[in-house]
Amino acid sequence: MGKSSRRSTATSSTTPSITPSARSAFFNSKSTPSPSVSEQKSARTSLINVLSRPRPTSAVSHLFAVSNEGFSPFDDDFDLSDQSTISSYASSISSTRHPSAEDVAQLYKDYLDKPFVNIKSTFKHSEFGHDNNPNWRWTSQWNPDEPIHPMVEIQPPYYVLLTTYISYLMFIVLGHIRDFFGKRFVPAHYAHLMSHNGYAALNSDFDSFYTRRLKKRIDDIFSRPVTGVAGRSIVVYDRYSNDEQDTFQYTGGKTRALNVSSYNYLGFASSSGGCADAVEVAIKRYGISSAGFRLDASTLDLHQQTEKLVARFVGAEAAMVISQGFATNSTTIPALVGKGCLVISDELNHASIRFGVRLSGASIRMFKHNDMKSLEKLLRECISQGQPRTHRPWKKILIIVEGLYSMEGSLVNLPQLIELRRRYKFYLYVDEAHSIGAIGPNGRGVCDYFGIDSREVDVLMGTFTKSFGAAGGYIAGSKELIDRLRVRSHAMCYAESMSPAVLTQIIASMGSIMGIAPPLASPAEEESDSVSIVSRHAVYGPAPASSLPTWLTLPTTLLNGTEGRERLRRLAFNSRYLSSGLRKLGFIVYGHRDSPIIPLLVFSPGKMPYFSQMMLKRIGVEKTPIVVVVVAYPATPLISSRVRFCLSASHTKNDIDMLLRACDEIADVLDLRYGKQTMTVDEVIASAEELVAANF
Amino acid sequence: MSSTAPTEIPTPLIPLLSLLSSAFLTLQSLFHRIPGSPIIVRYIKSSYQDDPYRSLLEVLLLAFAVRTLLQRRTGGEAEGKSFIKLTAKEIDELVDDWQPVALVEEPNELDAMILPTVPTIYGPNGIKVKTSPTGKSLLNMVTPNWTGLVENERLKQVAVETLHSYGVGTCGPAGFYGYIDVHMDFEQELANFIGTESSITYAQGFAAVSSCIPAFAKRGDIIVADRGCNFAIQKGLQISRSTIRWFAHGDMADLEKVLQSVERDLKRKGGKLTKKFIVAEGIFENDGMLLDLPKVMELKKKFKYRLMLDETYSIGMVGAHGKGLTEYYGVPAAEVDMIFGSMASSFGTGGGFCAGSSVVCSHQRINSSASVFSASLPALLTTTSSTALSILLTTPTLFTTLQSNVLTFRAQLSKLEAVPSVPPTSSPRPSLPVLPSSASSTESIPIGAQTPNKDAIIQIPSHPSSALMYIFLLNPPSTVEEEEALLQDVVDEVQTNGSILITRARRLRGQETFEPEPSLKVCVSAAMGKKDVEKAGQALRAALVKFCSSE
Ligand SMILES: Cc1ncc(COP(=O)(O)O)c(C=O)c1O
Repeated sequence: MGKSSRRSTATSSTTPSITPSARSAFFNSKSTPSPSVSEQKSARTSLINVLSRPRPTSAVSHLFAVSNEGFSPFDDDFDLSDQSTISSYASSISSTRHPSAEDVAQLYKDYLDKPFVNIKSTFKHSEFGHDNNPNWRWTSQWNPDEPIHPMVEIQPPYYVLLTTYISYLMFIVLGHIRDFFGKRFVPAHYAHLMSHNGYAALNSDFDSFYTRRLKKRIDDIFSRPVTGVAGRSIVVYDRYSNDEQDTFQYTGGKTRALNVSSYNYLGFASSSGGCADAVEVAIKRYGISSAGFRLDASTLDLHQQTEKLVARFVGAEAAMVISQGFATNSTTIPALVGKGCLVISDELNHASIRFGVRLSGASIRMFKHNDMKSLEKLLRECISQGQPRTHRPWKKILIIVEGLYSMEGSLVNLPQLIELRRRYKFYLYVDEAHSIGAIGPNGRGVCDYFGIDSREVDVLMGTFTKSFGAAGGYIAGSKELIDRLRVRSHAMCYAESMSPAVLTQIIASMGSIMGIAPPLASPAEEESDSVSIVSRHAVYGPAPASSLPTWLTLPTTLLNGTEGRERLRRLAFNSRYLSSGLRKLGFIVYGHRDSPIIPLLVFSPGKMPYFSQMMLKRIGVEKTPIVVVVVAYPATPLISSRVRFCLSASHTKNDIDMLLRACDEIADVLDLRYGKQTMTVDEVIASAEELVAANF
Repeated sequence: MSSTAPTEIPTPLIPLLSLLSSAFLTLQSLFHRIPGSPIIVRYIKSSYQDDPYRSLLEVLLLAFAVRTLLQRRTGGEAEGKSFIKLTAKEIDELVDDWQPVALVEEPNELDAMILPTVPTIYGPNGIKVKTSPTGKSLLNMVTPNWTGLVENERLKQVAVETLHSYGVGTCGPAGFYGYIDVHMDFEQELANFIGTESSITYAQGFAAVSSCIPAFAKRGDIIVADRGCNFAIQKGLQISRSTIRWFAHGDMADLEKVLQSVERDLKRKGGKLTKKFIVAEGIFENDGMLLDLPKVMELKKKFKYRLMLDETYSIGMVGAHGKGLTEYYGVPAAEVDMIFGSMASSFGTGGGFCAGSSVVCSHQRINSSASVFSASLPALLTTTSSTALSILLTTPTLFTTLQSNVLTFRAQLSKLEAVPSVPPTSSPRPSLPVLPSSASSTESIPIGAQTPNKDAIIQIPSHPSSALMYIFLLNPPSTVEEEEALLQDVVDEVQTNGSILITRARRLRGQETFEPEPSLKVCVSAAMGKKDVEKAGQALRAALVKFCSSE
C-alpha cells in the first residue's frame, strides 16, 4: 500500500479553496507532483485509484469513453457491475485528456440523484446509492488483535486545549456582558427569563445561560428542517436569520445534500422498494393504528409475529416491542429494579437509561466509560460494602451498558464484561440501540460481533429507529423475564401500542437481513415461541417462512437474504474505510473502526459552525453539499466538541471519497489536523481496501 | 462583574495581583531549571505581555482547567462515613458469599391473572374485531376510538401517500435532521386547532407527559397535583424532584385549601419566588371524571400557578369539535400553560404532543429528554394526524353521535347505579352539555333517582360526557384478588353471551403512587351503531346482575 507519509501532493496546498487546476491535477493520478509516490503504487492500487473515480455518463462521457471496446455508458444492462467496466474505464482514462473543473462539475451535477451507470433498481439512487463493486465490502467481526477500546484516549496538543478553554471563557464573559446590558436596554427580550406579575420565570436566566449565549449563536447548524427520506441524501430547507438566530426565515429553496447524519445504518429508510411495498399492503390491511394499550385489546397478531421474529433475530427466547425506543428504557428499567437494588451504569449512558434508573428508585453508581478495571474495582467495593449505612447486601446488581455508544463510536468490551459477570453475579443489560443491525457478521449486534452467546446477556434492549428504518424499541431475554416485564413495564400497561405500519417495516427489514428459509426447511416449530437449545446452531440462520405474515410478500433479493448481507457488508466497509481514512489524514477520531458512528474531534467550539456550514456550502469543485451533525457540551465533555458522522449501507464508496475530500479541504482552513497526517487524501482514496483490511 | 472599568485596577486587587505575579516569577525561575523550559518561557513571554489582567485571566483559566480535569464524573456516593476498609481476601470472600435474588420474581396471584386474559386481535383493530383467526367478530369497547378514526379510509390513503415520499422511520431525533416539514405543518395545525400559539410533537404520548413535566418543574419548585392523576403524570412528577402536594381527586375546595397552605408556607419561609404548577387531567384516565376547568383557572390565576393539563382523553372526545376541555367550557386554551395529549387516543394515529406558548414549546425542544434524545415521530403518523384534525373540524356530527351513544350506554346501566348521573331512558340531549357547577362531576347532574337505589350494585364515577367509563363495584368481595376474578367473570360473560369486548382496568399494582380500586373499563365510539351500544349496555347489565348482585 502507499505508505508514503509525504505531504507534498497537490491536496496539501494551504489555500483554503481547492482551485480548479489543483483539483484537476489530483483528479489525474499520473500528474501527481510527487513521482515517487505514484511509482511506488502497484498496478492494482492505481487500478483501484481509477475505480474510485466517478464513471462517466451522458454529457461528459465523450471525454472519457472515446476508445473503448464496445462499452457504452448508456448500456441499459443493470446487471453490469462496476467491475465489468474497469477495463474500459481504465483504458479510457489513459487515452483521453484529463477533465477540467467544468467537466468535473458537470459530471457531479445531480450526483445525488442519478448513479453514474444506468440501472434498473427498485430503490431511488438518492435514497440508496448504487454501488456494485464487490471489493468494497467487509465483514464486521471482532478481531482479537485489535483493542476493543483504546487504553489511553488520544489527546490533542495542549495549545488546542488552552484555546478551547479560552473560547469558552470568552463566550461566558461576553455572554454575561450582553446579558447585563441587554436586561437594561431591551428588557422585553428577557421577559420570559424574569419573574413577572408574581410568576417565577419559567426558565431562569442562569439555567438557560448556556443555551441562550452559546448554543443560540450557532443555532443555524441545529435542527435544520428537512423533507423526504433520511436516506443516502436528504433535502434540507434553506433558511437564514436576521435576528441573531432568534427566528429563521425560509427562502423557499431546498438543498439536497449527502446525508451522513441519520441513523439509517442499513439504508432501510426508504420510500420505495420491497419494505415500503410491504408496509403499503399492511396499511391497507390493518390501518395505521392498533389503538390503545397492549394489555387492553391492542395486541395484534402482528405484534406477536414481530416479537417472535425479534427474539429469533437477537437469539433470545422471547421479546416484546414498545412504541418508542426512549420509553423502552425509561419504562422497563423501573420494572426490573427498585429499592435495595444497585444499578451500575456507564458514565456515558443514554438519557433514556438515566431517566429509567431515576424512576426505579434503585441506587446508582457510575464507572468510567468502557473501563473494565474501574468497573471491577467498583463492583468489589459495592458488593463488599453492601448498601450504604446499613451494609445489608444488595438484592441484585444490574449493570447497564450500551453496545455502541452514540457519541463516542466505542464498542462495549463485552468479552471482559461477560467474564466479570461470571465472577460477580450481576445481571447485565445491554442497550443495543445503535449496534443492532449495524454490527456483527449477521447484523445481530454486539453478541454476534464478539461471537458471544446472546443468552449470556440477561436483558437485551434495542431500537428499531436506526438500522430498521422504523420506530420503537424492544426488550429481549428469557421467556420468564419477558412475561414478567409484560405485566410490569409501564409502557405495556399505559402507553400506546405500536402502529401496524411500523411493525411491518420491522418485519420486512429484519426478515431481509435474516433471509427467509423456504417453508420446507423449517420443521414444525411454529407453535413454540422460544428458541430451543437444540436449535441453537440455527440461531443466526434464516427465519422460517412461517415467521412472516401470510399476506406479506418480499422481492426475491430481500427474501433470500442476499440484499441484507450486501447491506451489512457495505456498511462494514464504509465504516472502516472512513474511520481509517480520517485517522490517516491526521484527524483525531474516536471510537472503534468497525463502528458506523465516527466522531471527528473539533475541540474548539468556534470551529463547529464553520465546519457545518462549509460542509453544506462545499468549496470543492463537485460542490455536492453534505449535512453533518455537530455535538458539543452538554452531550459531550466540555472540551471535546465533535462532528459525528453516521454512515450507512446506502453510501457508495464514491460518497465516502467525497466526504474524505471535503474533510481534507476543511481541515486546512480550520486547522483540524490535531494528529499526525500520514497520507494524503489521494493516497487514502487509492488505498481504501488496504486501509480497511489493515490492523492498526 | 462586568461593571468595573477595564482600564483601572481596583485597589483591593493590587496586593492580590502583586502576589500572583511574584508567585509567577518564582515559578518561572523554578521552570528555568527544567530542560526545554526556555522555549515555554519564550512562548509565554511573547503571548502574554506584562499585563496583570492577562495573568489573572490565565490563572483563572488554569484553575478552571485543573478543576475540570480533576472532576471525575464517576464519583457517586463513594467512601462515606460508614465505609469499612477490607482486605482483598475479605472482599473475595464477600464476593463469593453474595447471592443476588432472581432478576425477576415469581408473579403474584394478581399479576398471574393478567397475561392469560389479554386478548389477541387477529386482523385490524377497530369497532368490530376478532380475537381468534376464525372466531366471530366482537364489538370492541376497549380501545379509545372515540370518532372511529382508527379505521378511517382517508387516513390509510394519506398514510400510503406519505410512505411513498417519506418512508417510515425518520432515523434521527428532531435536532439531527429528524425534524421534517410535516412535523412543522402539523404542529402549527394542531396549535390552531386547540387554540394555542405553538405545539411540539413526541414519538409517544406516555413519554411526552412524563418528560414534559420535568422539563419545567425542577427541584425546589412546587407542584400541586390531583391524586387521581394517571401513571404518566405520576412518573413525570417523580422525575421532577419538585415538592409535590396532592389534593383530593376532583375536589376544588381541597385544591383551594392546599393552595392556601402552600402560600402560607412560602410566606413563612420567605425566600425567593419559585415556579408553581397545578397538574390535572381533562378526563381522568383512571376513572373518566371531568375536571372543573373554570374553577381551576380561577384558582390558578388567583394563586399565580401555571396549569399543566393532560388532555390525552378529552381532546378528540369532548367539545363541539373535539378540541377538548377548553372548548367544552369555553375557556381560551392559550390561558392554560401546557396542554398534553396523545394522537394515539385522540386521532387514531400515534405519538404525543404538548401545546402551549412558543416559549413553552421551544424550551422543550432543547430541554425535554423524550424530545431531544429520541427519534422524531414517523412522517406517516404525522400527516395522518393532520388529516384527522381536518376531519374532526369538518364533521361536528361525530361528537353529537358520540354523546348520544354514551348516553344510550349509560342509560342501560343507570338502574344499577347508586346515584345515577344519567336518566334511565335516553332522552333527547341538549346539544351543549350542562356545565357542572359544583366540585364533583357525579353530583353535578342529579337527574333521576334522588333516593338511594336499593338495587344498586355499581358506581360509575365517569362524567356523563365521557366516552371512557369505569365501572366500580359497590360491594366488592373482601380481597382484591377475588374482586378482579369476579370482574373477569363479567368480562368473559359479555364476550361469550353478548359478543362484546370489554376489559378489567389494567393496573401496575405495586408501582402506582395510589393503588386504584379494581374496575371495568368501557369505551364508546361514535362509529358504533345505536342499537349495538344499547345491546352492549344490556348485556353488561345482565352480566353484572348475574355475578355481582349481593347474594
Ligand atoms: C442508546 C440509546 N438508547 C435509546 C435511544 C432512544 O431510541 P429512540 O430514538 O427510538 O427513542 C437512543 C437514541 O438515540 C440511544 O442512542
